[in-house]
Amino acid sequence: MNWLRIALRNVLRDATRVISTLLIIAVGLTALLVGSGFMLSTYDALQEIAMRSEGHVIIIDDNPAPALGGTHQQLSLSHWQTLQSALSEDDRIVRVLPRARFEGMISKGNQSAVFFGSGVDPKEEFRVHGPFLRTDGVLNPWLTLQETPDVVLGAQLARTLNATKGDLLTLHTQNRHGKNSAITVQLAGLYHTGTPEIDNHSLMTNLTTVATLLDTDNISQLSIYLHQREASAAVQTLLQNSRDGITVQTWQQRAELHHKVKALYDRIFGVMGFIILVVIFLAISNTIALAIHQRREEIATLSALGTNPSRIYANFILEACLIGLAATTLGMLLAYAISNGINLAELMMPAPPGKTEGYPIFIYISWPHYLITSAMLIILAALASFLATYKATRVNIAHALS
Amino acid sequence: MATRLTLAAISKSYGHDKNRVTALHDISLALAEGEFLAIQGPSGSGKSTLLNICGLIDNPSDGSYTLNGVAVAQLSANERCTYRRREIGFIFQRHQLIPAMTVYENIAYPLLLSGSKAKQIKHDVNQLLGVMGLEHRRKHLPKQLSGGERQRIGIARALIKRPQLVIADEPSASLDHQHAHAGLQLMRELNRDYGASFLIASHDPFVIDHCDRKIELLDGHLGAST
Repeated sequence: MNWLRIALRNVLRDATRVISTLLIIAVGLTALLVGSGFMLSTYDALQEIAMRSEGHVIIIDDNPAPALGGTHQQLSLSHWQTLQSALSEDDRIVRVLPRARFEGMISKGNQSAVFFGSGVDPKEEFRVHGPFLRTDGVLNPWLTLQETPDVVLGAQLARTLNATKGDLLTLHTQNRHGKNSAITVQLAGLYHTGTPEIDNHSLMTNLTTVATLLDTDNISQLSIYLHQREASAAVQTLLQNSRDGITVQTWQQRAELHHKVKALYDRIFGVMGFIILVVIFLAISNTIALAIHQRREEIATLSALGTNPSRIYANFILEACLIGLAATTLGMLLAYAISNGINLAELMMPAPPGKTEGYPIFIYISWPHYLITSAMLIILAALASFLATYKATRVNIAHALS
Repeated sequence: MATRLTLAAISKSYGHDKNRVTALHDISLALAEGEFLAIQGPSGSGKSTLLNICGLIDNPSDGSYTLNGVAVAQLSANERCTYRRREIGFIFQRHQLIPAMTVYENIAYPLLLSGSKAKQIKHDVNQLLGVMGLEHRRKHLPKQLSGGERQRIGIARALIKRPQLVIADEPSASLDHQHAHAGLQLMRELNRDYGASFLIASHDPFVIDHCDRKIELLDGHLGAST
């Protein structure tokens, strides 16, 4: 006897029940897949921000300079040019960017503000940030061709100083001897990260300017960008084992914000997903329980004929799986269509807390994720069917038949 | 002749306290191996309740029931299920065919449950379909059949596994004389060849006349036995 064929006949003989169960599962699955697709793309964006700002692998000096102030503790990596040249030969590495962190005061006329600066390679720096750093009036690649060194400011810092492109500004800090040092720079443009704390206080200038200002060629770190992010750990291990005097870290070890935000989102999306699953389960249970209640006479007949309860459960679970399979196929197609529609429409999310700019909504379509979620819903349908059948098989056979 | 089943002081009540209704009062009865016993009585007299208890699909409130020498009260739910599968055939008044199974599958179902080989199942089902005049209906679903055809399938399903005990509730209901005769013939063959016992509740004089013994139930009390 072909149980599958019998289950299929049972499924087809009650169209109203099947359609309502099918729609509950399909709509629920669509909500889960679109929601989790958005979650995955958010995680990916957070990873991208962390990797693009710091690099996949980061090299710092393992013996920070003596305490001469915050800036000098950060500028401890010396002879980095040799290391940069050597690393550039590696096929896995796209680029190696030096970064020198420093801090001080910036002024224009009688306006001044605290800054946190980065000495960078102007030719390469803006290539790595991609969509996560929007520039305004800055040449890309940003080139320092004039005698007066260039500086680019966070948009809000420029607004504080009332500075516009072409204005002359003065950077004040302490050099490596602890003496006051200042340099005049020209504003080459602005950038927006979307994070007010960064845009209020950050600036970038070229490494030569930093070297002149601080009287040192040292930098804070070398940021290594790889072709494939998955190679980060392998490159880290190789570099750490082959070179002395440096500490090598991966982007994950430096991305504290990413980990915190991901943990927060995990909880939010986890609770939301759990609630959706519970709602789906209750809705499926209700529909299936009603259907099985209507078939209690059939269940009683099967029992009267000597059918083991396990065989009866199997029949009804098979039916639930068939409905689940059809429903999840429909749900996956719906989720695929809606996700593509949203992605093509280029809709924008409003600015999240702590940000000044919204971001494009992107829904990831991951087939393994689709299949796992679908399997989960089919299991829920089977479980709902089992529970309802379990109750039905416990009913007195004679009563059910009368 | 050995006893197939023995009921001793069986009672069956429903509800509690003021709402308590007693369907069977102190029924004592024995059915021998190979006996054809008819139970007569008006509607509501307790015939179906008695059949349900004898068929192990309901429990008595009081009294003892022995089937093939085994005290039924001592059987677990699983053991009762096994007993029903192996030893008891049911002919229901309302046919109770499985809606999603074809005629062939409905008749074959008890054999499948008892683990018969596919070849044997095919042979036995085809033979019964022939006897019942239902070969042309083998692939039809119950909803495509007349009441009489469904009843014939119900009889075929009950008899195909050659049970020791057949519980039949109005087996000739919705059957014309010819098919009622064919059904009874089949029951008699099973009775003769395998010593199956029959417990039949019926109003049909034709069926009752074919039985070895008749008992009467009135308001849950056992009446005269003839």
